[in-house]
Amino acid sequence: MPIIEAKSLSKKYEFYRKQRGFAGSLKSLFYRKKLYSEAVKDISFKVEPGELVGFLGPNGAGKTTTLKMLSGILQPSGGSAQVLGFDPSKREPAYQKQFALVTGQKNQLIKDLPAIETFIVNKEIYEIPDKEFNETLEELINVFDIKDILDIQVRKLSLGQRMKCELVSALLHRPKVLFLDEPTIGLDVVAQKNIRDFIKKYNQKYKTTVILTSHYMEDIKELCQRVVIVNLGKIIYDGKLEDLIKKYAPHKLLKITFSENGIKKEEAQRFGEVDDFTPYSCTIKTSREKAKEVAVALLSSNLPVDDIVIDEADVDDVIRHIFKP
Amino acid sequence: MKKILTIIKAFWQRALTYRFTIFAYRVGEMGEVAVLVLMWSAIYGGQHTISGLTLKEMITYVLIGNIFYVMIRNFLASLVAGDIKDGNLSMALVRPMSYFSFIISREIGRISVATIMSILSQAVVILFFAGSFIWNFNILRILLIAAMVILAFITELLLSYLVGLIAFWVDETDGLYATIERVKKFFSGGYFPISLLPLAFVKVSFLLPFAYSFFVPAQIYLNKMSLMAGVKGLLVQIVWIAALYGIIKIVWNRGLKRYEGVGI
Repeated sequence: MPIIEAKSLSKKYEFYRKQRGFAGSLKSLFYRKKLYSEAVKDISFKVEPGELVGFLGPNGAGKTTTLKMLSGILQPSGGSAQVLGFDPSKREPAYQKQFALVTGQKNQLIKDLPAIETFIVNKEIYEIPDKEFNETLEELINVFDIKDILDIQVRKLSLGQRMKCELVSALLHRPKVLFLDEPTIGLDVVAQKNIRDFIKKYNQKYKTTVILTSHYMEDIKELCQRVVIVNLGKIIYDGKLEDLIKKYAPHKLLKITFSENGIKKEEAQRFGEVDDFTPYSCTIKTSREKAKEVAVALLSSNLPVDDIVIDEADVDDVIRHIFKP
Repeated sequence: MKKILTIIKAFWQRALTYRFTIFAYRVGEMGEVAVLVLMWSAIYGGQHTISGLTLKEMITYVLIGNIFYVMIRNFLASLVAGDIKDGNLSMALVRPMSYFSFIISREIGRISVATIMSILSQAVVILFFAGSFIWNFNILRILLIAAMVILAFITELLLSYLVGLIAFWVDETDGLYATIERVKKFFSGGYFPISLLPLAFVKVSFLLPFAYSFFVPAQIYLNKMSLMAGVKGLLVQIVWIAALYGIIKIVWNRGLKRYEGVGI
């Protein structure tokens, strides 16, 4: 049975347009036309327990809006959602005690106090028993290696350290479902990797169901077996990441390096479409089926081939291709 | 209950990290009250009474009234408005505790340090003008005043919360709050005793909640108002608390719909 299920979930936002200038402002005092924008249109998907699903899409695609509806912050304007058997929009405490939402943009730590104080406040809000709290906390402190920073004011921590603490404070009540909204935003590469490793480990160990949104392809590549691609409020792909590449990138890439004096572009073009050409290296695009043949042909030709790597198309390129209007 | 105490404690600690700011504000507060005392002394000149108050009584009115004022006030409105505007409210909505209980506990924790320091500094001002201050140790009056101040504190919290909720509809709220604060202070008798104004005005003020945070308890302290009139005041306060609570529920529900509607 799916742990998260969205059925034709939709969300319309109200907004107004103001005409330019002072006269426009004055006019809008008396008359404003209510307009709607559809942030999410008729989205349906299911998530099984223990899955780690990545939501991918450009800004304004509707990723965050979807997460907000699943966590009960927003009421859907159409369709319905069920998480852990609850209707999130009712905001029942029994549901709230079983999930957590962490966003890279909004924090819940009390900035002027050390993180441990927020943990204690959350312990009470989530009514976590002493023993469980102490065990969970100790474990999380060890995994995240944050023992040294627990008693430092949150605002004096680096962004990466703060994000770790945010995650810890959200995990103290051992949520069964975890929504991560761009948890690595603004972090440096090392900190990003730390957070990513942790999410992976956590998901494997506790079988927590995770939905993650991110702009960073790395996050999705490393963490998610399954990816849901959202654009303009609609799901345009839902499935495995590898299959995505196969579906949208029917070609493979042969990355070739040449020794000696190199080659001329025309010589390479005999074998297929050429990219990134220099006399000493180039990439040749071929169809999936032909990749091997072309490689053999290249090796047996009189070109000074030094090395050939047969590669999948880059996910970033694939995604960029999909989002291109 | 433990939830509430833990939150109060956490924000009490947070307030302690702002010792200097809190202290700096108190200096200004003390100065303001001292100026009021000097101003009234100048206004009285040779006159014996103004609207039934001797100079000594007027000075006592200012000093004791300001003690009540610092006990009762809070800064919840801008806190609530900030949460709504910055979207922090979203994070509060996913937790198994109502935003109302959370933010009220938080504010009580936050102002506690400032309130205690204000009471102490106002006490210092009273000692400074001890020669012109009238002492009243009537136990019944003190109890009545204590009840009134507690109710006024609750009324103020609810009122500020309600005013904060305006941020659901209006983007800019600071100016509005400043104006509301001044109107409140005027009706409470914080600028001058409202008994200086026409009788009709005074009668209306007794039906509003504001006078009970300054003017009325100060009058009771000065024996200018009967105990019975004070008890009636408590009833007015209770009615207001119930009404405000009801209004808050309605406004909150409507505001939340809007919050969801525009996805602030």
